[in-house]
Amino acid sequence: MNDKETELISRCQQGDQDALKEIFNQYHKKVYRIAYGVVRHREDALDVVQEVFIKLFRSIKNFKGKSAFYTYLYRLAMNTAIDHSRKAKKAVFFSLDEEGSFQPSDRPEKRPDQIVARKELEEKVRWAIDQLPQDQKATMIYREIEELSYEEIAEAMGCSVGTVMSRLHYGRKKLQDLLRDIVNPVRNSSGV
Amino acid sequence: MALRGTAKRISSFMKKWTPLLVFLFILFFAFPPLAPAQVQTRVRVIEASNVGSVIDPSLRDLHGQLGSLFRYTSYRLLRDERINLSPNQPASVPVHQGRSIEITQVGLQANMAELRVRIKRDGADILNTQVRLSPGRTVLVGGPKHGEGVVILALSANF
Amino acid sequence: MKDSCSSIAQMLEKYFDRQATDQEKSLVENHLSDCTICQEKLGDLEGLRMFIKAPVDAALRQETFPWIWERIEKGIRQERKLSWWESLRSWLDLSPLFRKRVWIPAMATAIILILVTSPLLFFKKDPSYSERSVVEYVESGVYNVMVYESENAKVTVIWLFEGPQNESPAS
Repeated sequence: MNDKETELISRCQQGDQDALKEIFNQYHKKVYRIAYGVVRHREDALDVVQEVFIKLFRSIKNFKGKSAFYTYLYRLAMNTAIDHSRKAKKAVFFSLDEEGSFQPSDRPEKRPDQIVARKELEEKVRWAIDQLPQDQKATMIYREIEELSYEEIAEAMGCSVGTVMSRLHYGRKKLQDLLRDIVNPVRNSSGV
Repeated sequence: MALRGTAKRISSFMKKWTPLLVFLFILFFAFPPLAPAQVQTRVRVIEASNVGSVIDPSLRDLHGQLGSLFRYTSYRLLRDERINLSPNQPASVPVHQGRSIEITQVGLQANMAELRVRIKRDGADILNTQVRLSPGRTVLVGGPKHGEGVVILALSANF
Repeated sequence: MKDSCSSIAQMLEKYFDRQATDQEKSLVENHLSDCTICQEKLGDLEGLRMFIKAPVDAALRQETFPWIWERIEKGIRQERKLSWWESLRSWLDLSPLFRKRVWIPAMATAIILILVTSPLLFFKKDPSYSERSVVEYVESGVYNVMVYESENAKVTVIWLFEGPQNESPAS
């Protein structure tokens, strides 16, 4: 943690919202990536980001500086996103007019059936990630999306590097089984 | 004198307009309001797939919309029902594979009908929605797999 | 599968994650040069990462975070509560309301507001059709639902798609 960050955290702990805003400016995209990685839905991810920084402002007094600040924030983001994703499924409303081109046949990727196909794929990936135990899920998100090193993941999750590697191995294995049809459809359909 | 003139004018007015006023009074108070209009709803059950490239002739009016919305090459009409919906009286149409669609008219204005649409499987709701249909507008409900493709329900209304 | 594949297996993931030591990296690369099975495993890992990561990258590229900071500020304000004593004191202190220079203009303002707004309340304009969406509500305990509304084509699509745990597709 550098001096500037230490100073920001200290000001934030004293209730300085300007300090929180600077922390927000620095970290909101990373928090969004973690949130989106778990919930796989834009509005939910934005809700999670909002909730994370409100919680951060409330709980930052508990941060003692024993670990890096970003691991504290990532842990908060991951727990908030996982809690959010436990809520019931809801209908997805959106207008394809908002997606850009209104004439669906102009660009194939803007056609409703293509968008539906993408959404179905996203939904399948989200479902598969949801099937993982919480620790494996968090480890996969930290590694595959945030590309944290094994040591950084171990610090964020409070475990050893060996445990991180084990969770990654079993998490990948399970996801490959669940997403077998879409990860490698040609090879799997030929029975190889 | 002036008063007598006024009285004469009033009397003349009443003689002229009283029959019409009485008629309007009877019309308004004596007869019950007109019965609410029925809505004729058309439900078409369509199988969309990529097997072959046949568009059912009965779907000609929807061809342009289906072609611009979906990438399927074949659209086959499985069922075509026209139902006259009275207010708050549900009507049911079997769809396919144990499913049925129940439609109820819940509101009607000059240019719009409000319909509650329920798709049921073995008596339980799998979809519950309420839509506003104006003449010329179509609602397509689709997605469930059917054979090599999917089922699409096309709803439209005339009133 | 070659015998050496089993010894390479654990190192393969470390290599994929760029966490392997130089020695491990060298062993893996030598093995990969003539082992198609391990090459395919590496491909599977890359494919899986793509499915997990690519949509997140795409979402972030398009995201503008509209009003997020304002919503956070509002959330923090709502969480702040007066101490119970301050609440009681402010609740009990009604004296400012009874000053003439407060209640006379307040009454006048209230009367004007009532006179101006009552026609609007009684003659509420129904929103025109084009201001309202075709679908008022949609719910399904079985499917995930997407609604596509378009004015131009006079068509509305309600699309149901299944999560893997939902009813199985018709055979």
